[in-house]
Amino acid sequence: MSATDTQTPAAAPQDAAPVHKSWWRALMRDRAAMLALILLTIIVIAAIIAPLIAPHDPNLNSRSVMQPPVWTERGTWEFILGTDGQGRDILSRILYGTRLTLLIGLVAVGIGGVIGSGLGLLASMYPKIDPWVMRLNDMMLSFPAILLGLALVAVAGPGVWPVIVALGIASIPDCARIARSIGIGVMGQEYIEAGRAVGLSDWTIFRRYLLRNSISSIMIFLSLRFGQVILIGAALSFLGLGARPPASELGMMAAQGRDFLLFAPHIATIPSVVIFLIVLCANVAGDALRDVLDPRLKS
Amino acid sequence: MAEPLLSVRDLQVRFRSGGQSLRAVDGVSFDLMPGQTLGIVGESGCGKSVTSLSIMRLLPSPPAMIEGGQVLLQGRDLLKLSEAEMRKLRGGRMGMIFQEPMTSLNPVYTCGDQIIESLRIHSGLKGKDARDRAIELLTLVRLPSPEKRVDDYPHQLSGGQRQRVMIALALANDPAVLIADEPTTALDVTIQSQILDLMRDLQDRTGTAIMLITHDLGVVAETCQQVVVMYAGAVIEKGEVQQIFQDPQHPYTIGLMAAVPRMDTARGRLATIPGAVPPPWQAIPGCRFAGRCPLADDRCRKSPPPLRPITAGHEVACWKAPIEGARA
Repeated sequence: MSATDTQTPAAAPQDAAPVHKSWWRALMRDRAAMLALILLTIIVIAAIIAPLIAPHDPNLNSRSVMQPPVWTERGTWEFILGTDGQGRDILSRILYGTRLTLLIGLVAVGIGGVIGSGLGLLASMYPKIDPWVMRLNDMMLSFPAILLGLALVAVAGPGVWPVIVALGIASIPDCARIARSIGIGVMGQEYIEAGRAVGLSDWTIFRRYLLRNSISSIMIFLSLRFGQVILIGAALSFLGLGARPPASELGMMAAQGRDFLLFAPHIATIPSVVIFLIVLCANVAGDALRDVLDPRLKS
Repeated sequence: MAEPLLSVRDLQVRFRSGGQSLRAVDGVSFDLMPGQTLGIVGESGCGKSVTSLSIMRLLPSPPAMIEGGQVLLQGRDLLKLSEAEMRKLRGGRMGMIFQEPMTSLNPVYTCGDQIIESLRIHSGLKGKDARDRAIELLTLVRLPSPEKRVDDYPHQLSGGQRQRVMIALALANDPAVLIADEPTTALDVTIQSQILDLMRDLQDRTGTAIMLITHDLGVVAETCQQVVVMYAGAVIEKGEVQQIFQDPQHPYTIGLMAAVPRMDTARGRLATIPGAVPPPWQAIPGCRFAGRCPLADDRCRKSPPPLRPITAGHEVACWKAPIEGARA
């Protein structure tokens, strides 16, 4: 017996380095993803160590009100990003606000992602429960996040946590839908049948076959959802539902700055730019995450 | 004659779809002897794959329902086993190879991981022992440089190589029965013959009985001792490979043989069988093949012919059999 099928060009990647070590290199090659990841890391670290690096107390009113940033004519190094309408240091408020904003995004997407994807994947794996899960989903979809937020605030009182829970619950049906459709595609693959033919249990099939093959696509959706949640969270703060003043939250800061848009535009634009950067970086990095999780895309 | 290793008795499978109930497999029976290769032949949609998946109890239910019959593995009825007992058999006593090597391996784990997983479940091997055994299996299926390949992901292998890994996976725990569902259909011709050679060779070494599902008569002639011909969900002819090839008795089998391109006869158009397989929702009172059969008469259209022996070991479901000089 000859070995012709072993020497076809299709077998070329055999010379490549062990695949599980090269994802880092693949990531390095993708400049945009690298940049996004670095920026995101900086933002996250800055948010975490905010109390250490914030130059001022974020809630302290100074005498210089609506001071422009340092790069403008009237800017000073004392308030690098200027001050807001009440004379609070914008840089410090941004650092603390990012904390809250990231917390809202991560926890809400975490709740929605874990519960939603779990339900969706289960529905795709067991056709028997599929209609039940999906009808429950439809009911939840028809309930707006803002209304849910209002209801929770009415029950639990205002604060960040009711908003996070509301956003998390509101994310469940979307995640479930996406996960289900991805899962149905994966369940139709022949390797699922092959896995069963090897005698794998349902739990192993779920974990190692279904989840593992769906997660990269679900991750992309979650990274998009992360951006959406931050924006909705900002909108809820704007309505006065989320973080309560004087605590800072990026969306609330943008909302407060809107009153001074004509003569002190930096008050609204700076937090908006930070939101924009976080959401953008999350989306680009989410895309790169898919590449890391999927061995087919590594080579 | 020895006891059959795997014995399928009067298997009935239905599919429920939109209130309708479709009969996919109707009273299929056959025996697989130890160390032998049994070919199951038939055109697309005749119930070959449904039969094999029923044996493994891998048919999705709903919509599929196994309504009757027995599948005896060394005397034990698989259809009565619990799901947990069945899981132990799958990949243990019974291995299965699929048609599409390109998509039959989990793309996110290495070939080695997948073999090791099966070894861990069924043979309790762990760590280095499992890895060594995986490399040994990959060597057995003649995958080149198996020490390196064991860490390769499926997408790094060619189709033929993946099918070798699938075979290694199926053979990992020394199965008594190997079910191969069109194992070479998706491969190109040179690789096909290599894979068939390999399966034959492994059978000689391990004594595994193989149930080979195919629509390629050439493959059957090369590898099988026993042949079952299926048509529209039922067995219409079965016998030893020489009997089926030298002296086919069912008009459908005769038609199939005539439709095989040959190198030695005059050229011209290949013979075809007119018409198509009746759809499963169509109720057929008589012989399933009557609508396409050149010999059909009123009796054929009214009452279904039973499977009956013509000569020793050769059974046909046709009122007209024995058909003299039937060979195309």
